[in-house]
Amino acid sequence: MRPSRAARAAACAAALVLAGCASRGPQLPPVTVSGLPASVELDSTPFFPQQDYQCGPAALATVLVASGAQVSPDELVAEVYLPGRKGSLQAELIAAARARGRLPYLLPPSLDDLLAQLAAGHPVLVLQKTGAGPWPGWHYAVVIGYDVSRDRLLLRSGTESRLEMSPTYFRATWDRADRWAMILLEPGRLPARADFVRYMEAAAGLESVGRLDEAGQAYRAAAQHWPGESLPRLALANIALARGDEATAERELRAALSLAPDDVAARNNLAEVLRSMGCPESARREIAIAARRAEGGPLAAAVASTQRRIDASSGPDGPGCPAD
Amino acid sequence: MRNRFVIYVVCLAMLNLGSPLVAQAELIGTLQAVEASTRAQDLATVSSALARDQVRAQFVALGVDPAQVETRVAALTDSELRTLAGKISEAPAGADALAVIGIVFLVLLILEAVGVIDVFKKFP
Repeated sequence: MRPSRAARAAACAAALVLAGCASRGPQLPPVTVSGLPASVELDSTPFFPQQDYQCGPAALATVLVASGAQVSPDELVAEVYLPGRKGSLQAELIAAARARGRLPYLLPPSLDDLLAQLAAGHPVLVLQKTGAGPWPGWHYAVVIGYDVSRDRLLLRSGTESRLEMSPTYFRATWDRADRWAMILLEPGRLPARADFVRYMEAAAGLESVGRLDEAGQAYRAAAQHWPGESLPRLALANIALARGDEATAERELRAALSLAPDDVAARNNLAEVLRSMGCPESARREIAIAARRAEGGPLAAAVASTQRRIDASSGPDGPGCPAD
Repeated sequence: MRNRFVIYVVCLAMLNLGSPLVAQAELIGTLQAVEASTRAQDLATVSSALARDQVRAQFVALGVDPAQVETRVAALTDSELRTLAGKISEAPAGADALAVIGIVFLVLLILEAVGVIDVFKKFP
């Protein structure tokens, strides 16, 4: 019985693709070069076999429990499952993690970075596109390890507690999900190879939804880990202000400015704090500097708004205001 | 660098919108007309409110328990809401891995890569 022309064409195409992949050899990044161990398996990571369409709650519960939270997939269904889509959105997984006081750190799109997080003890929640076209097959799973000698990644996925996956298949499915990957951190802990912008975005997300304690811990860790950056100080000042603590805010903003005298946001915020503390003259001085620096930049409008507010309060500094 | 500016703006916006200082500014009613001319801030505020409403409506339409809708919307940041608004029906929604193996998966990949499979999406 002869195969149909279409089947032969498909087989040829598939063979070509397979051949292309095979000729590249082992697919895991060269871990010895990046200083990572040859194999990792986070076997204490819990396993929650998923129910139909509910890999979101199952995968999220996995990484939440691994990060020290107490939760079951059933509890998460109400927060992350969309009946009309029969699945869960990435943003809602992030939101549910924040709601439990965990910092949701989105990894750079790099398999090497993913392995580094595993080596540091963090299981990684990933999105995969296991289909195509009208059957995209979006799926969440948790990577719990890798083995260079066997050239395999290890995942908790669906109803499989220990799925061995070739890097080829992982890359094919993960690349098409824009290499989305997330780890959860207790506030104050940093990821491996922490990326400043990604970390600060995650921490700012905590602050945005009102988790001030956790955001503050995250910002303090950032200030320690990146002592030359002004943004963590600005962020700590914002937390202080949200609590009505103007003295701390002023201190943190001055620290930010000593690190980065050209930091427009810190200068603007300091001016506003000084105004609020009854130091309008100092406020006017600071906002004038901020306005000059902000000229033509993205913050110009915000600074102008603050300056109008400050200019409306006239008079000299009250007692207790900073000299000079 | 640009990302840091974005964070500065976000932090600054948070300061202006959420801190006790804003409460004081609102007490000084005469300044509100002056601040209304800050178009950039106005637009950001409006689009966040709009995005929130859109996402809320989409959640309801997608079958979220009405008692849960507010909680879920409130758990998202303004920028997440703006990203989601109007796109929830197409955004990736992780569910089940397709039990597609070997050759069939490769054929799907090839068809997607050459743009054939996307044609299906155009048909209802």
